[in-house]
Amino acid sequence: MARNSIGLILNAHMPYVRHPEYPRFLEEDWLFEAIGETYLPLLRMLRRLRDEGVPFRITMSFSPTLCSMLSDPILQGRFTDYLRLHQELGEREMARCQREEQECLPLAKMYLNSINTNLQEYFETYQCNILTGFRDLEESGHVDLITTAATHAYLPLYSEYPSAINAQIELAVQSHINHFKRRPKGFWLPECGYFPGLEDYLQKEELAFFQLAAQSLILADQPVERGNYAPVACPNGVFGFARDFHLTNLVWSNAEGYPTDSNYREFYRDIGYDLPLDYIRQYIHAPEVRVFTGFKYYAITGKGNDKRFYHPERAARKVQEHAANFLYSVHQKGEKVAPLLDREPFYTLAFDAELFGHWWFEGIDWLEAVLRNAAKSNDVVFETQLDYLKRYPESQVLQPSLSSWGEGGYSDVWTDGVNVWIYRHLHKAIERMEELAIRFPDQSSLKQRFLNQAAREVLLAMASDWPFIIHNGTSSSYAEKRLRDHLGNFNVVYENMCKNAVNTEWLVKSEKRDIVFPDIDYNMFNLNSRRNRYNG
Amino acid sequence: MITPNIDALSLVELRYIARKQGIDDAEVLDREDLLEALQEMYEEMESNISGDGSVSSPFTQQRFMNTLVAHDSNDTMGTLPGVQCLPEGYSETRIHLLLKNPYWAHAFWSVCSTDIMKLEQSSASFSFFLRVSIHEASERNLEADSFDVDVSRTDTSWNINLPERGRVYSVSLHYKDTDGNTGRLCISDTVETPKSYWLDHVDALGKDERQFSLLFSSLVSKGGNMVENPLLREVVELLDERLGG
Repeated sequence: MARNSIGLILNAHMPYVRHPEYPRFLEEDWLFEAIGETYLPLLRMLRRLRDEGVPFRITMSFSPTLCSMLSDPILQGRFTDYLRLHQELGEREMARCQREEQECLPLAKMYLNSINTNLQEYFETYQCNILTGFRDLEESGHVDLITTAATHAYLPLYSEYPSAINAQIELAVQSHINHFKRRPKGFWLPECGYFPGLEDYLQKEELAFFQLAAQSLILADQPVERGNYAPVACPNGVFGFARDFHLTNLVWSNAEGYPTDSNYREFYRDIGYDLPLDYIRQYIHAPEVRVFTGFKYYAITGKGNDKRFYHPERAARKVQEHAANFLYSVHQKGEKVAPLLDREPFYTLAFDAELFGHWWFEGIDWLEAVLRNAAKSNDVVFETQLDYLKRYPESQVLQPSLSSWGEGGYSDVWTDGVNVWIYRHLHKAIERMEELAIRFPDQSSLKQRFLNQAAREVLLAMASDWPFIIHNGTSSSYAEKRLRDHLGNFNVVYENMCKNAVNTEWLVKSEKRDIVFPDIDYNMFNLNSRRNRYNG
Repeated sequence: MITPNIDALSLVELRYIARKQGIDDAEVLDREDLLEALQEMYEEMESNISGDGSVSSPFTQQRFMNTLVAHDSNDTMGTLPGVQCLPEGYSETRIHLLLKNPYWAHAFWSVCSTDIMKLEQSSASFSFFLRVSIHEASERNLEADSFDVDVSRTDTSWNINLPERGRVYSVSLHYKDTDGNTGRLCISDTVETPKSYWLDHVDALGKDERQFSLLFSSLVSKGGNMVENPLLREVVELLDERLGG
C-alpha cells in the first residue's frame, strides 16, 4: 500500500493594526479574535497531541507583521483587556441564559470556559507571548516555522521593482530570526502570488521552498511530470509545491466544504447583533457599533434566517465523520494516483490558519481528529516540505507559471476597478524610496531613523490586505485610510529629505506609532548596496 | 459606494441598518419589506453618483464593517488622525503597465505640465493615443505587431485587452495633432503573458490518459468544479472540442 504524505501549511497572518491612541479600536479586534479563536486553541491542540505522543509534522508560516503584534506589550495588554471584557460578558450571559434562554446556557458556559482557559494559558503558559509556544513546537520537531513577505505584499504587482521585493523578503527573514532565533527554510508566497523569477529573491535569502496555486504547474510552458503530487525545482534550485485543489476544497469551499455542514456553528449570528443595545452596549464599540462578541448560539441550519440552536455534541459527531471522510478521500486518491507515479505522492494543503477555529469553529477539532486518525492509519502521514525534500532531493526542473490563489488565478482581485488606483501611488513611493536610498546612503543618527521610517511606511502601504479589503467592500474605509496614511507619511520624509531636513517631532511620533521592524535598514532599497552585500 | 450584502443579514441587523439609514417604521417592517426598502434606497443612492464618482445629491457615506453592519463613517474616520490627500498624478511623463491576467493589463500614466505646454505651443489642438506593442518572448527588442487605442486628454488609465498568450507587451503614450503629426511621449516596461504547454499540445493530452489523470485529479473538486482559471478553461474547452470531434 502506497504511503500518502500530506504537507499541511498554515499561514498565520494579520495586517499591522495598532492604535494605542484610542482606548479601544475596532480593527484591533481582528487580531484578538484570531488569538482567542485560532492561535491559542491551535497551540493547545498541537501541544496535547505532542504530549500524548501522537506523531505529526506540519509547517506554519507567521507573517512578520503578526509576529510584531503578538510580541508587542501594548497589544498584549489590550488583548488581556479584551479577554477580561468577554469574560465579564460570559458571566452576564450565564445569568441571562439561566433566566431567559436556558437552551443557550451550556453554550454560554462553553464560551466562558474557553475564555478562562485562554486567559490562564496566555498568562501562565506563554507569559503573554504565544510565539514562544510555536517556537517550542518547532524545537520539539513537530512544526517547521517559515516566513512570508514582511507586510504580506502581493508580489507579482511589484515585479518592476526588485528593490521592493528584495526588501519584503530580506526584512521577513530578519524578522523571523529575531522572533524565532532560527533562519527560516521556507517562504509562504502571500496569496500564492508567483511570477517567474521570484525564486531568485528567495534563493538570495537561502529559502529552500515556497507554495504555489494549484494551476501553476499544469499551466507551465513545459509539461509537468508528476502533476501536483511532487514539488518542482525552479531553474535556480528553489522548490515549488503546488496545492492540491481537490483535497483543499473538501475543507475550504463555501459551497462544498465540510464547514458548510448544517450542524456546525453559524459564524454570522452573534449576540453582538442579536441582543438589545442596552444589554450589549458596553461589549461592542462606541458609540453603537455592533460587532462580534464570540457568543454565537446558532447552528448553520440552512440558508434562511431561521436558525436552530447549536448542539456541540452533534457538531462533534460531524467532526469525526468529516475527519474520517477526509482520510478516506486521501486513501482513495492515493489508490488512483500512486500507480501513475514513480514515487510516493505528496499532497500540499495550504490554508490561512484563521480558517480553523475563527471562521470554522470546529476546524481545530477536525484537524485534531485528522492528525490522530492519520497517526493510526498505515497509509497517511503528515510530513513537512523539508521532510519530503530530504527523502526526495531530486525533482523535475520546471518554471512554474504566473499564478495566485485569488479569483481567476491571477492578479484580478488586487487590480479591480475599485483598488487599482493605489498602484500609481505605491509605485511612485517605491521609486522615491529607491531615490532616497541612493541619494543618502549609510546615514546615521536622525537621518537614518527618518529614512528607516520612510522604508517602514512604504512597506506597510504595500500590504496585500488593503487592496483585498477594498475589493471585498468590507472595512474598506479603514483600508483606504491606512494606505493614504502610509503613503502620506512617506511623502513627509521624502519632501523633508529633498530639503535636507528632518522633522524630529514627527519622527518621534511616527516611531512610537509604528514599532514594527525595529531593525529595518532603508539601504535595502538601494540594490547596489545589497549587491555588494551579497557579493562581499 | 460600499453596500452590504443585505440578503445575508438577520432581521435584527436589517432593522439596525434601516434605523441608521433613517427608514421610517424600521422597527415594525418585516424582513421582506426591509430588504425592499433598503434595496430601493441603495439604488437611489447609486443613481445619485455621477460617472466620475462624485455624489450629486447629499447622503451620508456609510461604513460597513467586516461584520456587515453599518455605522456612520464620520463617527470614526473623521476623528482618526492624519487622513492624507494623495495627488491625482505626479509631475512626470510616465506610463506603467500592470498585468492583471493573461488577457488584460492595466495601463496608467501621467503627463507633466511642461510637456503639455510644449504640445499646446506647437499645435492648436492635439489628442493622445496608446500604442500597444507586441513582441515575441524570445526577441523582446523586435516589435512583431502593434495596435492603437484612442484615449482622451483627461484619461489617465486604461484596461488593455491582450490578444495573444506567451507574448511580451509594452504600451506607449503618443500625441497626435491636427496636422497629423504624432510623437511618443513615454513607454512602459514590458510584461509577459504566460502560455501553457498544453494549449499547444492538447491532442497529446487527449490521448494520454495517465497524463490527464495525473494533471486533473488535483484540480477538480469532489463536486466536479475545476479550479477557476481562464487559461485552464481554454485548455479544457479545446480538449472537449478535439475529443468531441
